[in-house]
Amino acid sequence: MRTWLVDKPRDGIAAVGEMAKFFGTVLGEVFGGRVFRFFGEALRQCGVLILGSTLVIWTLTFILGLTCGIEGAYFFRSVGAPAYSGVFTAWCNLRELTPYAFGYMLSAKVGTGLVAEIGAMRITDEVDALEVMGISSMTFLCGTRLLAAFLVFPVMYVGALGAGFFGSYLAVVQQIAEVSSGGFFLIFWMFQNPVDLIFSTIKGYMMAIVVVLVGLYYGYTAGGGPVGVGTATAKSMVLNLVAVHLIGAMGTQVFWGASPRAPIGG
Amino acid sequence: MVRAVADRTFLPVKSLLEQVGDMMILTGKTISSAVRPPFPYGGEFVQQFLFVLRLCWLPLVISNLAFNYGAPGLQAGNFLSLFGALDRHGGFFILAAMRENGPFITGIILAGVAGTAITADLGARKIREELDALQVLGVDPVKNLVVPRFLALMVTTGLFNAFAMCFGILGGLLATLTFQAPPGPFIATLLTNAAIPDLWGSMIKTTIFGAIIAIVACYKGMTASGGPEGVGRAVNTGVVIAVTAVFFFNYVFTQTLLGTHPEILILR
Repeated sequence: MRTWLVDKPRDGIAAVGEMAKFFGTVLGEVFGGRVFRFFGEALRQCGVLILGSTLVIWTLTFILGLTCGIEGAYFFRSVGAPAYSGVFTAWCNLRELTPYAFGYMLSAKVGTGLVAEIGAMRITDEVDALEVMGISSMTFLCGTRLLAAFLVFPVMYVGALGAGFFGSYLAVVQQIAEVSSGGFFLIFWMFQNPVDLIFSTIKGYMMAIVVVLVGLYYGYTAGGGPVGVGTATAKSMVLNLVAVHLIGAMGTQVFWGASPRAPIGG
Repeated sequence: MVRAVADRTFLPVKSLLEQVGDMMILTGKTISSAVRPPFPYGGEFVQQFLFVLRLCWLPLVISNLAFNYGAPGLQAGNFLSLFGALDRHGGFFILAAMRENGPFITGIILAGVAGTAITADLGARKIREELDALQVLGVDPVKNLVVPRFLALMVTTGLFNAFAMCFGILGGLLATLTFQAPPGPFIATLLTNAAIPDLWGSMIKTTIFGAIIAIVACYKGMTASGGPEGVGRAVNTGVVIAVTAVFFFNYVFTQTLLGTHPEILILR
């Protein structure tokens, strides 16, 4: 009785506090400029991200673009306006599913990867060894990876959007083939504008940064041998998925909740 | 030079194909040992079922509510309210919450939460050589460890989908209320547009998602190697493969369902 009424909530709040403290420290490392002493390592982490994760993320957004495309094409065929499939695919890709797909794949690929990597370093005492050598492990391990994330993700995100658009184009124009290429693109580009692109990028970027921070936290605080790394990896995934969905819903509410931003009406 | 380039290109592809083949073999073994007597996996099945249930229900509820409030709720609501047709909002949720978002969010959550936990568990057993010990004792790991997880994930993913749809529709209802529209037309159009093929399509889809996730998670756990790093790496690659496979299967299934059942597309 006492355990779940008093102890569990208290532990939960304490864990949230620890996490916030950790996030603050890592962000301080990056924005305080200390991380630039290890800029070479940050660039190497950029390379790891680009070579290791980009293709997987683009593949996932491409598949979701295909799904958006067929749903949109069939839906607008059922209301008798197949030429307007572009409305659905533009909003589905740009505003909602690409940020979500980006968040999902980042938490699966990058988030758990960070936990596994840094967690393994932690339990084989490599992190302590860094400290002994006089290198701040917080800066060298966490700061550089966060800086790499800051540098790489906007570009990767815009590429992911492109992959999603291409998937939708293939599905609507080539596969279902009820609307001409020109007609599709006319509506498709009409229903989005650069401001939407910026909003969407902010949404995906927020998700990405949270995922990286959560991954760093669970990796840096891992313990309990090989099993501990596995459980920390699994735990980070729970938090990442909930955070991705909450950020997605909040972003939609803030950016598009009050105004549809569509070229209809006055 | 040519040799090096060819190795760099084809070796990953080859290892990927080999892994997919191994997973297929594991699927076959799992199904055949699930139906062949004896059936020693009852207790483990119940335990895994409750484990998945306890682990996943809260992330699932929050995620579905948030996703369906934002994506189909607010965006489609905005679009419809431009035409003054917000009373049609409910009909859109058949496409959104039932056919697409409910199943794929269930798949993502189960892959991310239950799949990773299973990989971590089996991977830790593998590198502590407990699986080899089991085989020495004459206990078949596939029958005693993989089959209960496979069945438990299939059943829970299918059942969770029902809750995913409920909370997805609740999220849509909340979005309708934020437009200051009455909830009555939402529910009325939702019920008139609902069709039986959508419901069973959604259920079958999620059950197969569960099977995919269980096989990938178990395979990656049982082939983990390389000490503590190995478990983490197994979880990492496992969840990536599971997520990609779920989305790819989702595309194929949606296409098949929409192509073979055109009557569910008619708006009523």
